[in-house]
Amino acid sequence: MYGQTITMRKRITSAVWALVVNAIFWIVIPYYLGAFLAGRVPESALTIPTFVYEFGILFIILEVGAAFYQGKAVAVPMISAVALLTVVYIWYATNGGVLGVETSGITLALSFRLMLYVLVLPSIWAAIRAPLSYLVWRRALKTEISTGPPAPTVP
Amino acid sequence: MQVKRKTPRGIWALRGVTVAIAVIVLLAIGTVVYSAYEDYTAVKAELAGGNQQAIGAAVLRGSTETVSINITVPNNGLYPLNVTLSCDYPTTNVVCQRTSVDVSPGGQGVLRFRMTVLDLTEFEGSDNQVINGTVAISMMPFVGLTVGTDFGGFVKPGGS
Repeated sequence: MYGQTITMRKRITSAVWALVVNAIFWIVIPYYLGAFLAGRVPESALTIPTFVYEFGILFIILEVGAAFYQGKAVAVPMISAVALLTVVYIWYATNGGVLGVETSGITLALSFRLMLYVLVLPSIWAAIRAPLSYLVWRRALKTEISTGPPAPTVP
Repeated sequence: MQVKRKTPRGIWALRGVTVAIAVIVLLAIGTVVYSAYEDYTAVKAELAGGNQQAIGAAVLRGSTETVSINITVPNNGLYPLNVTLSCDYPTTNVVCQRTSVDVSPGGQGVLRFRMTVLDLTEFEGSDNQVINGTVAISMMPFVGLTVGTDFGGFVKPGGS
């Protein structure tokens, strides 16, 4: 929600919370998952690719920024960037919807390009929604300034 | 005391679109997973319970062996199913027919695949008895699975 006074204390709390949650999701879980897989199947190629951590760092920076600047215009491009980065990540992780594996003389190829479009649809919408949402709130606040603020509610 | 602002109508519209997209995505994923499971279970049951002689029969005439594969493909899912069998690199000694069957939801189709080894003696005597074949299963329009495997195992010395 835009146009509301958010205290610095709340901003810092939100940013720290975003940092912790994203660090667990993008760094801690992939690291321990990779260690677990390497321990269980030593000869296997099942390792966590480096790009997961690289994307993770970008996600953490943007999420922390968006949490810190919440309610301000500067948060809008960060929210959209997170959404677009999610699209790129999903596309990259699924090799554009074509996954293949070869084992014991059998080649398996799974193709799900259309399904991938469906999967990235919410993220694309989130990227569009952030600036639209900001514009709607800004317009509502401008109208409010010209007509006067709403009556305060007594708790 | 805090000023409580009324959520603008435009925000409700944006939320509505978000909910609609979420429902579409969940429905798409749910129906694809459900269909894949149902189709897999049905085809597995068909292959396990079917007459193996009818599924894969090899007829030897002289030195020419014809392998016939007849598979009933049921579609218990929600999306049309297409199954295609083909040989990737037919040799001069092996002739394959590319066969395809489209099965609409709730129906079943029969896939008839013929593979002819013109000279079985030459095939058995050769070092490379691999016939590269492809089984393509497509749950239209969302998912397609292609399995590349050796069809040489269908060739039975002396027929069956």
